Amino acid sequence: MNRRVVITGVGMVTPLGVGKAPFMEQLFGGVCGISPISLFDTTGFTSKSAAEVVGFSPKDFIRPASIRRMDRLSQMIAAAARMALDDADLAIGPHNRDQVGVMLGTCFGGTDVAAQFGKVLFREGPRRVNPILVPNTVMNAPAGHVAIELGVRGVNTTVNHHEVGAETALTYAAAQIMRGRVDAVLAGGGDIVSEFFFNVMSHFKTLSPQNGGDEGLRPFDVHGNGTVVGEGAGIVCLESLEGALARGASPYCEIVGWGLSSAPTVPNGWPTEPTGPVLAIHCALAAAGITPGDIDYICASANGGPRLDRLEAEALRQVFSATEQRPRITALKGALGESLSSGGMRAAAMALSLRHQSVAPIAGLVESIAKLNFACAPETQVPIRYGLINGISSGGTFVAVIFKKLA
Amino acid sequence: MELKRVVVTGLGTVNSAARSASLFHSALRAGHCGIGPVSVFDATDFRTQTGGEVQGFNARPLLPRSISTKRLSRSDAMAMVAAIEALSDAGFFPVPDHLRPDMGVVIGGGAGGMLECEAVYRDYLQGAGKRPAYSAFSSFGCSASADHIAGQLQLMGPKTTFMTACSSGATAIGYARDLVQTGAATAIICGGTEPLCRITYSAFNSLQAVDPQYCKPFDKNRQGLSLGEGAGMMILEELGHARQRGARIYGEILGYGVSCDAHHMTSPDPEGGGAVLAMARALQDAGVSPDAVDYINAHGTGTPANDKIETKAIKHLFGERAYRIPVSSSKSMTGHTLGAAGAIEGVVSLLALYHGFIPPTIHCEIPDPECDLDYVTEGARDANLKIVLSNSFAFGGNNTSLLFGKFPQQGVGHE
Repeated sequence: MNRRVVITGVGMVTPLGVGKAPFMEQLFGGVCGISPISLFDTTGFTSKSAAEVVGFSPKDFIRPASIRRMDRLSQMIAAAARMALDDADLAIGPHNRDQVGVMLGTCFGGTDVAAQFGKVLFREGPRRVNPILVPNTVMNAPAGHVAIELGVRGVNTTVNHHEVGAETALTYAAAQIMRGRVDAVLAGGGDIVSEFFFNVMSHFKTLSPQNGGDEGLRPFDVHGNGTVVGEGAGIVCLESLEGALARGASPYCEIVGWGLSSAPTVPNGWPTEPTGPVLAIHCALAAAGITPGDIDYICASANGGPRLDRLEAEALRQVFSATEQRPRITALKGALGESLSSGGMRAAAMALSLRHQSVAPIAGLVESIAKLNFACAPETQVPIRYGLINGISSGGTFVAVIFKKLA
Repeated sequence: MELKRVVVTGLGTVNSAARSASLFHSALRAGHCGIGPVSVFDATDFRTQTGGEVQGFNARPLLPRSISTKRLSRSDAMAMVAAIEALSDAGFFPVPDHLRPDMGVVIGGGAGGMLECEAVYRDYLQGAGKRPAYSAFSSFGCSASADHIAGQLQLMGPKTTFMTACSSGATAIGYARDLVQTGAATAIICGGTEPLCRITYSAFNSLQAVDPQYCKPFDKNRQGLSLGEGAGMMILEELGHARQRGARIYGEILGYGVSCDAHHMTSPDPEGGGAVLAMARALQDAGVSPDAVDYINAHGTGTPANDKIETKAIKHLFGERAYRIPVSSSKSMTGHTLGAAGAIEGVVSLLALYHGFIPPTIHCEIPDPECDLDYVTEGARDANLKIVLSNSFAFGGNNTSLLFGKFPQQGVGHE
């Protein structure tokens, strides 16, 4: 009933590289993945940058017949899932295929494909649309593709919640394993940069530069003037500790608790009071049976948008400022951009931090908005026992997840 | 971890067959069909023109004045109306202050604000380069409904939105049940919502999955589904809390099961493997034997493949007893409401348990040798039901089955 849950594999397709080795080297080296947009023409926009995935070759990870059926997001997620499975050295066969699940988070999913479908519908009429596109217009398409590609029939679901879909999927996956409903889950998520949503985000003035200054993503920085869009997919392989040990796997870390909460606001708004995120972190600490002082390392949500960053800084200050050894805080979106469903990449990064006792620095932070222990330079050999991923979403949804180094 | 028992204390719905849960009860008894001409958009050029539309839907008169309809998409508005009905039904409206930190919202979504956004997109595409009115996109994502509900009611518990296409609503109920069972919330507003919209309508038409007349689940001449829209909501509550306040209990959520076909993105596994797994997992989760199931509210879309395969899966799991279990499709009355379907059919299952009847499958007239179970085609039946299974299967091979139990009931579930 109360099985322990560990991460045994990681896989990622990111602006900092495809796969564990390049991702680690660049992330822990403080490299920033943001550059001028190549996917579409940005003429007429004040914002010109994004953290785009580069050097991704789907055929290295996915069967050719499957590649053709997948949209770009499904390809990234399926590749990350394959990498996570390989990294975990978990073979799928008739003996375990019904006991391996897929839990993803995505914000936009296949909306880009729906727009493509709609373009024909509205320009040429309903009799000219292309039925081949239909399967990829639904948000659960990537999860379906992963299941088909890997042949797994366990729990399979997709969460849609702006910036925290993937974190929620991760907690749901861990709960399923704890309860013994499934033995392993490929959990995480992703989103892609698309012209359509670049337009929408520009309209809502979420993109840097909001104030006419220099464009850039500066998490927790006094000069933060909006976010920069990113894309990518991250998947972690979750297993029960007993199952992992029984097959001789060496887990990265354990997931020991999480908290979920919300706070009133409108769908794209940010609450002004930190009550919601503080509640989620306290729930997670209680579930893990630890106190704020036990947390050594925090992976924050900050994305350079002043409202989110100030909300999060205040929440972290309220929970952690009284602790003797204040936890080191990083914000990976400085390097990865705001890819919305970034929780899979962030969980993979957390697993690597715990295994290698390394801190990923915040790319883009120069002058901080709060007196917190921000990670400003790469560091190794940092004792990290407990790590926290703090998930904050517009619309007022909060997910905090606590990871523990295995003794 | 001690698992708590989870009961349903409030119901709400808006769909083409009925505008509230209490009206839905009589509509289901009468076998009322909500499928008719689509008018929410101009369907003239489409291959078909019918659907389960909530005709003349206007949220404003259906909601108390304290609830704003500003910025609500059609999908959000239907979710809000059903949620407020369910809350009022449970005696939780207005939400008591002390409950706000422990009350969550879990919604199964579909097209979300697509109806409004696709109109903006269409105007942009047809309007020679003029910039679209992007403000419509503030309620685009299907997670907007949960944000609006939790935001307006000032709730602080867990909030999540699932999008597993045609099984979203059922998955949301299953997940919400886990949250209450494990103590993450005392009560949760959960369910699903889905609007009719041009892109979805066109997509199903292009797959030739739509019956041009109305869906005829399990009928030999069935030609496909009828698209529908609506919302189904229920209040899940921890049993002790519900008992203490003397709440009316419609039934208990005994378990749920989720699986994936891992076969094809839009066609079900011909062997029904994923469907069997979902049903078996729901029974296992509840600790209930297949012999105890009294009624199955089928996915029953009316597509040639689904109805045949679902029948096969039921036979596989229940053996000879399959022929003695009534199986019916409420989609024959509401149309297939996609993301809302699992939740609307959850409401059907609970009404059936609470009021003691089996809703019929309408429009099923000519027997199909491959669909040879008891589909309750002669009209609603009175029946003292104890255990009801509700199936939802989806694109992507995402299957969810929910198991509901009468309350109180002896000898069922983990005690």
